[in-house]
Amino acid sequence: MSGKIIIIATIILLIASFSVLFVIEAKNHSYDYKKAWSVAYFENPSDDSLDFTIENHQGEYAEYDYKIFIGDSKVIEDKAGIDAAAKQKISPVLGGEISRGSKIMIIIGYKDAEYKLYKTL
Amino acid sequence: MTIDLLKLLLALPFALILPGFFFLLAIFGGKSGKISFFERAVIIIPLSIIIIDLIAILMDKIRVPLEGVMLIGSIAIFCLVCFIVYQFRFGKRGAQAKDRSENSENSNDSEKIFDFSYWQTVVILISIFLAVFIRTTYLADTIVPSATDLGHHMFWVQKIIQTGHLPVYGMPDFIIGEHIIFAVISLISGVKIMTALPALVLFLANIVGIFTLAILAGRLFKNKNITALCFFTSGVLYAINAPQGKYVSGGVVGNIIGNMLLPLALYFLLRALKEKNSLFAGLFIFSLTGILYTHHLSAFILIFSVAAIFLAYLLANIRRIVAVLLEWVKIFSRPFPIAVIMFSLFYLLFIFTPSYFNPEAVSQATGQPIKATRFGLDFEQIEINSGSARLILGGLGFFLLLIGFERRKYRYSFALGWAFILFLMSWQPGWLYINIPSTRVGNYLFLPLSVLAAYGMGRYFDLLKKSTTKFFSAVLLYTILFFVITYGLSDSADAFKIKNQFQESLETFHSAEYLAKTADTSRDIILKDHVNLYGDSWYKLFFMKDYKYPLSRGVLSRYADQTKPRETCTRDMIMIPETESGKKCFSETGVNFVVLNTQLEGNSFEKYQDFSKVYGSNYVSIFKKNDP
Repeated sequence: MSGKIIIIATIILLIASFSVLFVIEAKNHSYDYKKAWSVAYFENPSDDSLDFTIENHQGEYAEYDYKIFIGDSKVIEDKAGIDAAAKQKISPVLGGEISRGSKIMIIIGYKDAEYKLYKTL
Repeated sequence: MTIDLLKLLLALPFALILPGFFFLLAIFGGKSGKISFFERAVIIIPLSIIIIDLIAILMDKIRVPLEGVMLIGSIAIFCLVCFIVYQFRFGKRGAQAKDRSENSENSNDSEKIFDFSYWQTVVILISIFLAVFIRTTYLADTIVPSATDLGHHMFWVQKIIQTGHLPVYGMPDFIIGEHIIFAVISLISGVKIMTALPALVLFLANIVGIFTLAILAGRLFKNKNITALCFFTSGVLYAINAPQGKYVSGGVVGNIIGNMLLPLALYFLLRALKEKNSLFAGLFIFSLTGILYTHHLSAFILIFSVAAIFLAYLLANIRRIVAVLLEWVKIFSRPFPIAVIMFSLFYLLFIFTPSYFNPEAVSQATGQPIKATRFGLDFEQIEINSGSARLILGGLGFFLLLIGFERRKYRYSFALGWAFILFLMSWQPGWLYINIPSTRVGNYLFLPLSVLAAYGMGRYFDLLKKSTTKFFSAVLLYTILFFVITYGLSDSADAFKIKNQFQESLETFHSAEYLAKTADTSRDIILKDHVNLYGDSWYKLFFMKDYKYPLSRGVLSRYADQTKPRETCTRDMIMIPETESGKKCFSETGVNFVVLNTQLEGNSFEKYQDFSKVYGSNYVSIFKKNDP
């Protein structure tokens, strides 16, 4: 009888433990659950397109300010408000002709953090 | 999430209980005096894992795709065949004859060995509760897939799932039994691999390993106190240290499954020899086959352990050596063990030969040690490896067994021979021509030491009862217990302190997802930094191109291998990308994406003119080499 009690108790314990661990993993396997970070990236890293996306995983609405430079000159400065767990694609329109070999830099700021992207065309 | 959990909770017993249950039914019948309910409940899980391996290997050989429905059907067919065998052997007329012959000799004997008293049951239940609780607490902070070894293994598991066939590894590092069970459970349940599934399967194997060790101890000593204490010494002491909780979360698959199968194989061998029973002899061969398909090191350890046990028994019985040998030959030359031997050989040679079955791999593991890490462990390292409390109690058990040595009883040669050979393999591997990292061998010492520690504690309790100076004995006992609990649980206390790194892992996965979406894997070559990126070994699962894709900068010490020259490009392209050698590496390898930790190399990489930064998060930066 004791053998059956031990086996049944172990099965119950393991089911409880597995359920807890499975739920913990599933919840934490999210870009947003109990996390605070942001990411910015070029939509297409391999061509000359400057479309970029900012993803907000800060856990709250966030207002990002971004500046775009051609070489050392700032050509665009703007803000993007993004809801928690949302992302926003930005397609900058740069006036004038950009010469071959120019370095385009995008600096995105949120609070103290800075996310930098750049491409040499 | 809930549906996935339910599917997993249904798939686990289907894959890990049914095959073993029906297999034992075919061998022992429904109720047998040879095997108690407790033992049967423990044994069916490791046996199921072996059976699942063999079923999947056979399916692959006859070109049946490894898909959910096919696997369910194959397992069901196996169970049906076993049931037919059971009906044939034990149904109606057969049952009466078999039951009479089998149950008459030792009916109720098996049940009695594992029929625990109230207090023994309490000790076992508390030990199991602590074992599960401590591991669960530890795993709660490591459960999101991120461990390096687990990532490597899960690539191959994903390959099986994706292709429906067993992979061709092309290297001896991986063995098929390390991957089939995960793939089968994932395919049956539909739960993805990048979830808690792999860690939970390993966790289950780890807990079942405690039980297999306990039933071995139960059969060895036939003392229920010792069996109950074995749950404490193997499950509670050093529950987190390698090779326990840390190996579960770290994904050291072969070791965890090996630690479950090793005591099982010895349990079958013990019963075969002790009871002169050919059924157990066959099951020993069957579990040895399972280990050969699962983990080379565990198989190596088992072969040495069995040799040491045989040798110890033969030396102790040198006067009747011929009679003993003849007796063993008789046990193993009956139809069932011979059939299992033939079946195993046929499988190993013609159905599927493990990747390490080749002279090169064997010669790498044998001979005089060539690296400092293989020269053996000193006593301090052995103490750290096994845990001081377990080592001292195990030493006490060893001593008590030695002074009470009875040459005709198998328990002495089993426990002493097993512990002695593993100690020797860890301490002086050169004496045995073993050329394997000594810490990896040392990790197996906890198995015999846990059994011996339980024996030491159990015998000490017995001596205490008989002692005339009870006061001093009790003081000594409580001092030992205090020491055992404080030292033996010290690593478990750390389980409550660790900080999870889920955010880092998820940022790594996000960057992998980005590259999987934007890079052209037929043209783009990615290099990532294993040294400073958490969870990076899972990167390859996002591409499923090749085991070595993306390229990876490894731990720096690996580049300075004195025994053979190593490539250094993966290191140089991150550390010195602008030098001549760095540039040459880029042109030779074609690497055009570099994934780095934002705060470390990511910062310094920003000054290099040849790269664009295309992705930036708090933790990961991706650079793309500018087209020339």
